Amino acid sequence: MSSEPPVRTVRLFFREAIARALAEEMRLDASIIVLGQDVGAFGGSYKEFVGLFEEFGASRVRDTPVAEAVMVGIGVGVAAAGMRALVNITYMDFLMLGLDPLVNYAAKARFKTAGQITVPVVVKTTAGARGQGVAHSQCIEAWLMGVPGLSVVVPSTPTDAYGLMKSALRAEGPVLYVDHKRLFPTAGPVPIAETLVPIGQAAIRRAGAHVTVVSYSFMVRVALDAAAQLEKSGVSCEVIDLRSLAPIDIATVAASVSRTGALVTLEEGQLICGVGAEIAFQIRELCGPVRVARVGALPAPVSSNPVLEAAVVPDTNRLIGAVRRLLSV
Amino acid sequence: MILIRAFEAALRVRPDHGFQLLSSGQEAVSVGVCAVLTEADQLLCSGRSIGPALARGLDPGAVMAELTGRTGGLNRGKAGRGHMAHPAAGFFGAHAVVGGNLAIAAGVALAFQAAKRPGAVVCLFGDGACGAGVLHETLNIAAIWQLPLVLVCDNNGISVSTPRDLVLAPRHLADLAAPFAMPAATIDGMDVLAVRDAMAAYIARARAGAGPAFLECLSERFSSHSTATTETRSQQAMATIRARCPIERLSAHLIAEGLLDTAQRATLETEVAGEVARALAFADSTPYPDAAEAMSDVV
Repeated sequence: MSSEPPVRTVRLFFREAIARALAEEMRLDASIIVLGQDVGAFGGSYKEFVGLFEEFGASRVRDTPVAEAVMVGIGVGVAAAGMRALVNITYMDFLMLGLDPLVNYAAKARFKTAGQITVPVVVKTTAGARGQGVAHSQCIEAWLMGVPGLSVVVPSTPTDAYGLMKSALRAEGPVLYVDHKRLFPTAGPVPIAETLVPIGQAAIRRAGAHVTVVSYSFMVRVALDAAAQLEKSGVSCEVIDLRSLAPIDIATVAASVSRTGALVTLEEGQLICGVGAEIAFQIRELCGPVRVARVGALPAPVSSNPVLEAAVVPDTNRLIGAVRRLLSV
Repeated sequence: MILIRAFEAALRVRPDHGFQLLSSGQEAVSVGVCAVLTEADQLLCSGRSIGPALARGLDPGAVMAELTGRTGGLNRGKAGRGHMAHPAAGFFGAHAVVGGNLAIAAGVALAFQAAKRPGAVVCLFGDGACGAGVLHETLNIAAIWQLPLVLVCDNNGISVSTPRDLVLAPRHLADLAAPFAMPAATIDGMDVLAVRDAMAAYIARARAGAGPAFLECLSERFSSHSTATTETRSQQAMATIRARCPIERLSAHLIAEGLLDTAQRATLETEVAGEVARALAFADSTPYPDAAEAMSDVV
């Protein structure tokens, strides 16, 4: 095993990890500004911006009107003009209102100007179901993982929330950073020393032999719960946390599937043209025929009614059922 | 203005560029706006970009090459009419999503303000953008943050085939800026001197940190929406429209003032014809991109 000394860590909540990354990068790069609703003295709807307004002031941490098109557009324009911006879109559902500058301008600027304009903007947004209803719960990251020029990162741990935010704030092009409502109250160890997590690199969260379970964001926790339960009945799951959807680290998934021979994808969003569909097809191209199953939301809106929400969003039992059916165990 | 007109006349007979959005008839807006800009300023515009690009002083050969898809173009032929840009020369660029450059321009203006840069940012857009919500959003935030931004609506009165009065309620489009407590005016966009003078005041305010302004220039589109679009206006209407030529108007004014004579005008036309011929020759002399360039500068 490794003889490297253990990494010294501090326990941080997910939201604290985001704020720490931003504060560190804003100290290093005076051109970074933050734009969003309630990101100033209020500290963000999930308190993930706490402390920034006090340290960096109102000119760098800017409360905006509820106007996603101009919020993203201004962040993109600021970045195109040589600065850096993080734009916070409180709920991913509202990102639809600001997609034009992100997709039509930011993702294409470098290409269309033959490298004269780059757009180092981070659009951070919060996905996932937590009792807030049909237009505050969606996971639409699959829509955006196929936009050339746009990176999409989806951290599941405080360490990755921190390290991916730092990488996003140093990236040359636009990055969509998707966190999750149910991750903000979670805590975990984060290296005390400055640490970056590279964009486009998956992590194997649990080694296993019988099936590869691929997930990202909050659903990684569901996958790990299911894996722990399945282990008790002798089913060994390898759990891969994608961490980035664009670029996607399909090589890590393919290497795992070549060992296990079976793949289950787990996402909170829709299955049709979803993340799992993309992974399954790429794995088919790379590994040939393997057993595959997908788990995702039911094809229905996500209600704020707790019974209906739970019925739609995937959970541990649904994943366990899918694994058992796939492996016939 | 005569360069833009001659440039477009030469371009429109070329079969090899797909289609173009021409500025002919609207030259006075671009030229009047750019007359007051310096190298410290940035100009953004819509996909109707030929007039603004040439008025900003970009090399006609590089513009022609861009429009015809050649690697000698401003952006190696990758941007075309809708997206050409040369920020180092103060032309931050075109963006072919109607209204799409408004918020981008506000961002560039915020970067100017944050860095205390001396210039200002101008965004040219058509009447078609005035029904878009992002204009309201941009006006609001530009006013709240007092951005060094001048929004110039080049109102040619028609959006593809749809008359402006059929789809936009305000009596004047400059009225859209009224709630935001910024200077706004509607002027004759066929009068290049009037455009220049109105812009001079607004750009000076913006540079001085006094905030944004909105200028509506009433102009006329001399041809159909694009070179691939059928003209929907009658021949009689077009004759009336074309009689309002901004070039002839300035020429008559200068001759009346004794600042120009017919011989000088003829010399100018000859010089411009030579410049356009050189631009075409340059464009034709540079190759199309290799197909592998489809994947360059993507990420």
